[in-house]
Amino acid sequence: MIALAGAAACNNDTLTNINKNPNSPEDVPTTALFTTAARSSAGSWVGNGYDLRGLEWVAQHLAEVQYPDEDDYKRLLASAGTTPGWFDNPYTAQLEDYRQIIKRASNDPGTSGPALIMRTWDFSYLTNTFGDIPYFGALSGDSIGSGYTPKYDAQKDIYADFFKVLDAASKSLSSASNSLGKADPVYGGAPAKWQKFANSLRLRLAMQLVNVDPATASAQVQAALAAPGGVFASNNDMAVFAWPGDGTYDNPWSVNFSSRDDHRMSQTLMNILNATNDPRIGIYAQPTLSDPTKYAGMPNGLTQATAQPYFNTTSRPGKIFWPAANQSAVAGGTGAGQPAFMMTYAEVAFLEAEAAARGIGGLSAGQAQGFYNAAITASMNQWGVTDATKISTFLAQPAVALQSGTAGQTQIVTQEWIALYTDGGQAWTLWRRTCQPNTLKPGPYAIINTVPRRMQYSTTEYSTNASQVSAALTQMGGTDDFTTRMYWDKSPSAAPTFTTGCGTR
Amino acid sequence: MTRHLHRIAAVASVLLGLLPATARAQGTNISGRVTSDAQVPLQGVSVSIPSLGVGAYTNAEGKYAFTVPGTRVAGQTATLVARRIGFTAKTVSVTLSGSAITQDFALAAAATELTGVVVTALGIEKEKSQLGTAVQQISNADLTQTKAQGVVEQIEGKVSGVQITGSGTPGGSSYITIRGANSILGDNSPLYIVDGVPVSHRDNVGPTNRGANAMGGFDFGSAISDINPDDIETLTVLKGPNAAALYGSRAANGVILITTKNGKNTGGRMRVEGNSFYTFENPSRLPDYQNQYGQGAGGAFEFIDGAGGGVNDGADQSWGPKLDGRTSGCTFVSGFNGGIGIANKYDTSAPCKQFTAVNGGPWIAHPNNVADFFQTGHTASATIAASGGTDRANARLSGGTDNVSSFIPGTYLQKTNGMLSGNLQINDRLSAQSSVQYVRNGGRNRPGQGYGNSILEGFVWFGRQVDVNALKANWQNSATLNNGPDGREFNWNYNYHNNPFFLMNGNPETDSRDRLIGNLSATYKITDWLNLTGRTGSDWYRLNINQDWSPADITGAPVNAAYNGAFQLTNEYNNETNSEALLQANKSYSKVALSGTFGGNIRKEVLNSAAVSTQGIAAPGIYNVSNAAIALQNQQLETRRQVNSVYGSASFTYNGWWTVEGTARNDWSSTLPQGGNSYFYPSVNTSILLSDLFPGIKTGPLSYAKLRGSIAQVGNDATPYQLRTVFNGFSAQFKGLPQFTLSNNIADATLKPEITKSSEIGLELGFFNGRMDIDASYYNKATRNQIFPLTISPATGFTQTTINAGMIKNEGAEALLSVIPLQLANGFEWTSTFNWGKNSSRVVTLYPGVSTVPIGTAWGVNVEAREGLPYGALYGTGFARDSATGLIYTDGGVTVPGAKKVLGNITPSWTGGWNNSFTYKHLTVSGLLDIHRGGSIWSITNYWGDYAGVLKSSLKGREVDWQNPGVVVHGIDVNTCPDYAAAVSKGQCPGGKMNTDTVTSEEYFQNIYPAQEGYVFNDSYMKLRELRVSFELPQRWANRLRASAMNFSLTGRNLYTWTNVPNIDPEVSYSNQAGTQGEEYASIPNTRSVGFSVRITP
Repeated sequence: MIALAGAAACNNDTLTNINKNPNSPEDVPTTALFTTAARSSAGSWVGNGYDLRGLEWVAQHLAEVQYPDEDDYKRLLASAGTTPGWFDNPYTAQLEDYRQIIKRASNDPGTSGPALIMRTWDFSYLTNTFGDIPYFGALSGDSIGSGYTPKYDAQKDIYADFFKVLDAASKSLSSASNSLGKADPVYGGAPAKWQKFANSLRLRLAMQLVNVDPATASAQVQAALAAPGGVFASNNDMAVFAWPGDGTYDNPWSVNFSSRDDHRMSQTLMNILNATNDPRIGIYAQPTLSDPTKYAGMPNGLTQATAQPYFNTTSRPGKIFWPAANQSAVAGGTGAGQPAFMMTYAEVAFLEAEAAARGIGGLSAGQAQGFYNAAITASMNQWGVTDATKISTFLAQPAVALQSGTAGQTQIVTQEWIALYTDGGQAWTLWRRTCQPNTLKPGPYAIINTVPRRMQYSTTEYSTNASQVSAALTQMGGTDDFTTRMYWDKSPSAAPTFTTGCGTR
Repeated sequence: MTRHLHRIAAVASVLLGLLPATARAQGTNISGRVTSDAQVPLQGVSVSIPSLGVGAYTNAEGKYAFTVPGTRVAGQTATLVARRIGFTAKTVSVTLSGSAITQDFALAAAATELTGVVVTALGIEKEKSQLGTAVQQISNADLTQTKAQGVVEQIEGKVSGVQITGSGTPGGSSYITIRGANSILGDNSPLYIVDGVPVSHRDNVGPTNRGANAMGGFDFGSAISDINPDDIETLTVLKGPNAAALYGSRAANGVILITTKNGKNTGGRMRVEGNSFYTFENPSRLPDYQNQYGQGAGGAFEFIDGAGGGVNDGADQSWGPKLDGRTSGCTFVSGFNGGIGIANKYDTSAPCKQFTAVNGGPWIAHPNNVADFFQTGHTASATIAASGGTDRANARLSGGTDNVSSFIPGTYLQKTNGMLSGNLQINDRLSAQSSVQYVRNGGRNRPGQGYGNSILEGFVWFGRQVDVNALKANWQNSATLNNGPDGREFNWNYNYHNNPFFLMNGNPETDSRDRLIGNLSATYKITDWLNLTGRTGSDWYRLNINQDWSPADITGAPVNAAYNGAFQLTNEYNNETNSEALLQANKSYSKVALSGTFGGNIRKEVLNSAAVSTQGIAAPGIYNVSNAAIALQNQQLETRRQVNSVYGSASFTYNGWWTVEGTARNDWSSTLPQGGNSYFYPSVNTSILLSDLFPGIKTGPLSYAKLRGSIAQVGNDATPYQLRTVFNGFSAQFKGLPQFTLSNNIADATLKPEITKSSEIGLELGFFNGRMDIDASYYNKATRNQIFPLTISPATGFTQTTINAGMIKNEGAEALLSVIPLQLANGFEWTSTFNWGKNSSRVVTLYPGVSTVPIGTAWGVNVEAREGLPYGALYGTGFARDSATGLIYTDGGVTVPGAKKVLGNITPSWTGGWNNSFTYKHLTVSGLLDIHRGGSIWSITNYWGDYAGVLKSSLKGREVDWQNPGVVVHGIDVNTCPDYAAAVSKGQCPGGKMNTDTVTSEEYFQNIYPAQEGYVFNDSYMKLRELRVSFELPQRWANRLRASAMNFSLTGRNLYTWTNVPNIDPEVSYSNQAGTQGEEYASIPNTRSVGFSVRITP
């Protein structure tokens, strides 16, 4: 009795030891964090949720043939529950882990460099989707009692920091003595490739400012091209996430197609591909079921009843995106191990072509054609079209061969939009800047008359960080809807940029 | 403490006009002793001969004596009745011949009582008249009158202030709260104690957390359902912290204290008892489906391959052509573009192609195609026990089994349990007691729940023309029978849902829980007034769940279509062991009685669980890890907790009418930070027996009055491992590489215990000597420093942080009214009890800057704790409305979603139960109405059922044909507002015009869903919970079986439901987790059962 009471009352150490967590560690190797975060990033932005079931409809590479609620933008309303995850998950599943890596590897540029670049790649999709976002004060959660309500920073300031971070990361990688090795699923740890990715991403972000701040755009293009290591110079340099296709980690598109058959090619994309007899068409898409000699797209933004007739008369996405077996009419797909393109050499060459055509970043109009042809060729190769004759025939067509002036700039960004297939987010971002292709309009049953210029803030933020959200809206000068324009979407200047009526039904 | 002998209350008798008001001295002496079943002397029992109007009450030793006046003794036979509220009355015949009669009684406990012995905290028996806290005890008879799934369902509607939401799922879990929810995200279930040993009521299973909710999952039931109601002697509900403070941490939600049956001193003879049921079950309520339109969209349908190859044959909805028996013309003439009011142009040359026979068959309704899926369920249940003993030792051995062949084809449940208990008086000072029970609780092919793979979901998304008998006949056949994909099951569609027969039989599931609950205690009597008890008890179980998915499954997940099936195996080991020492003292002086306890307890909990799964196996039919074709996914979780406690109580009773008791407890928990893991909590309660203090008040109709009050505080620790932020690993390596991510929960190394403070007062009144009793309480309680994961901005890098914050207040009242409105000399008796409980909860504070904490979510509607509102607000999207007129806005003829708002609250305004029992001689008829008033339910069955066009309500606008007459929404056309944005966001629309656009029914219903406002319903309902007709067989039959009585009954449960909630059973519970309450989707309606039982009483 007394002994029992005594035992109960003291022996605090024994009790405390019982509470030592046997399931999860308090510290882990940074390599294991990087592998997980990179997989999560690729799965988020060029995977199933944000890309395939969201922005592919908005960017009109694809259209919905059943339950066309995303395609009508209805399910893209934050209240419908899909888009909040696009905001919430990157912070918690990716960015916090990159922060942990950067904190632990401050003296190891071979590890911190890739983490900084991935972090910037993530943040760039986030800000391009929502506008102003928590950035400088974000990821402050582990300081208990403070920092639970991060402020939303102006996109202008975020972009300025992107350039600084990428510049520093690129420079630091020159002195990397260590690498992530095989824990890096993108480049297998090669610091030189990461350096090129940093500079290429900087080029993409620089060009995004071309309307709103042409001076910064030009300076940053020039800096990106001149940075140590340079930008992507061939398809070997591309940032590619190689999905193992082992049944556990399959390409998210193929996972989606294993149980869904509600996706068809958009006629916005297919009309352009068909018009130029694009050699990529048989890879991007499958022939229609009703006529195996035909490739056809369907209109975006229909209702279920009006979409249904297109079920067999329009093209499904290509077999390289489908799993070997699935629930529908497609058999023999190879998509489980299909890599996901995070940023391609083709895009870099298109950006260089556009910069040249605009005469910025130290490039001149005369260089545009070389970059343009290299870009299209790289895209063809990237998608498995290697027949040089086919490519040169394609390039020689009047509609494709690069023209001068604004017509040429239109051609460059249209071809870039085609090449960005499977990267719906970046395709949408490019379109918002350039309004090309100008056939991209809301479908007849879309809930608003214009293509969304942004997504609404997360409903989670409204319940946990409401005052900062409302400050952000004031800061952006709009309401939380699809039409409020972000910083770089405000001052259209030179062609091919639209002025009015772009993307309006 | 002594009690005066009373003569029967002549006043009451006269008032009720039942008995002659006569009683004279002298005559035949009748005396005896009355005890409970457990041989405890019963005080205050009325023993009388109603036909003569004479009788007396028993004293503290249970003894009574009275005299029948000589003038009335004529050698006649008279009926002697022993009666006390709380016990079942007993009747014997005596012959009044002038010589003294000795007659003893042993009374079985009944539903309600104001006085008598009740089991209280730590298993200590006390006189209820001296309790300062609210307890309600119910007896074995009330737990075994009808057949329910488990012990929790058996107390539905019987205890005031206890809210129970039963599960419709065979073998599923019920949700129970006592006096409302205390904790924002913690467990709000009471603590269950069986013979002094806490037992588990765990629900969600294992590391995979496979509990069910409206979004899917399986309901494997709650572990408390393992207890066999037939083994229970009494069940005492200690309502809230006041009564339960001695149990410490887990008692803030109240305690359900179960005392199992024991052997008795039978003079060495064996006694036999038994209870058996055979019941037939069916679903109590199914949705009201429409039978006018078949599968399809836009009025057209043609089956080619069931996956979109035909016209709308991939659609899992019923917006197709009218089911008018047509054999051709289910698709439109090519190029036709119909609209509202435009005559249909069906292609009458094309046959109507359906899924059963590709080339024809009339297009007709199958109105019973859902009802026909179900079958009559059968439950056979029996418990048999033998007991016996002497004055030194006794034992009881019981065995029971439940066999359920469910009304859902393919689902079987089986429970087997055995229990052995014994008492031994080793010598005059030392006694020992032990009981062991073993339970095996197994299930096969349990039905899925909610969204994803549940039975009723397959009928929400459905073609109303589908002949379910064709699905039944062919579920084992290949889909190629009707152009479906090779290797898949035969079905009516190949896009979304499995054939329901395949779902129940083709994806085999088995589970079993093996459980052992045992305890051993010994008591040593140190002196007459002091004894020491040592007790150790343990509850162990192993749970195993095997879930297999056939390769023919068409829903995709979790089977990878390229492989030969998939499986998941879950194992769980759970153990809680308590070791306790308790010193008890009782000492009485002439006017004062003192008692005290002092004890210590060590509680150790271990939970180990693991799950292994794969989405693809190589060789078909072998669901073994060695056959995995896709890398296995493994999950493992181990948790341990230890709490050390010391506690004590002291009570003082003055002259039998005034009692004061104080309790104190200190816990040291392993889950709190070192140095801050000790917490102390006291309570004090008092009771005043007004009717003894002022005996004068008993001259009127009032015969008993007691006032009680108490104040208590209870602390609660955290769940294990909340003090350190960790990294979570993945068992599935990426290309052979380990993976980790930082947890999304920020731990708090400085957590403090949660504290619940509670106070209550109660009044107990008895009128007319037991003809009417009222037991009423008022309470309030507040839980602060709640330990909960606060949802924080994801931009912090985390989704939540564990904190101490917030306060929830619960305030309420409860009452129990027991009346015997009619009691006739011929033996007819009507008893009526009504219990009522009203609890108002309020989330007072959360955390600075935080106005709400989501508890659960389903399809856009959250269940939340919102500051200033009752716990459990339903928060979702409303319609955009004009603020001036209240009219909704329409755009293009359809409704427009507005802002998120509170759409309802899951907390009912009150709950109650009304039981009536009529006894005449050997026949008893009783019925229990269970009432749930107010609260809201978010019905996703109605929400998607309208969208999919299967419900009768979705006929609106297509009364004539699929697009005729259409729907003109009564509202303002938002396009006529001066500013569209201002209209939607601010409700401003000066000069807006009424909508004139006509849309089809399909367009109308398929555009409502962004707003959930129309599908949150007032969840008031009343159920005929129990109905029983029982017949007491002649005693000589029972005596031959070494029993005292035998009874044959017809029983029914959930026979009828009164509610305004359309289409669904308004009583829905997927699990005992708070976050799953108030939401409904494709939930299986509560079982209606009818059957019969045979009961043998020892």
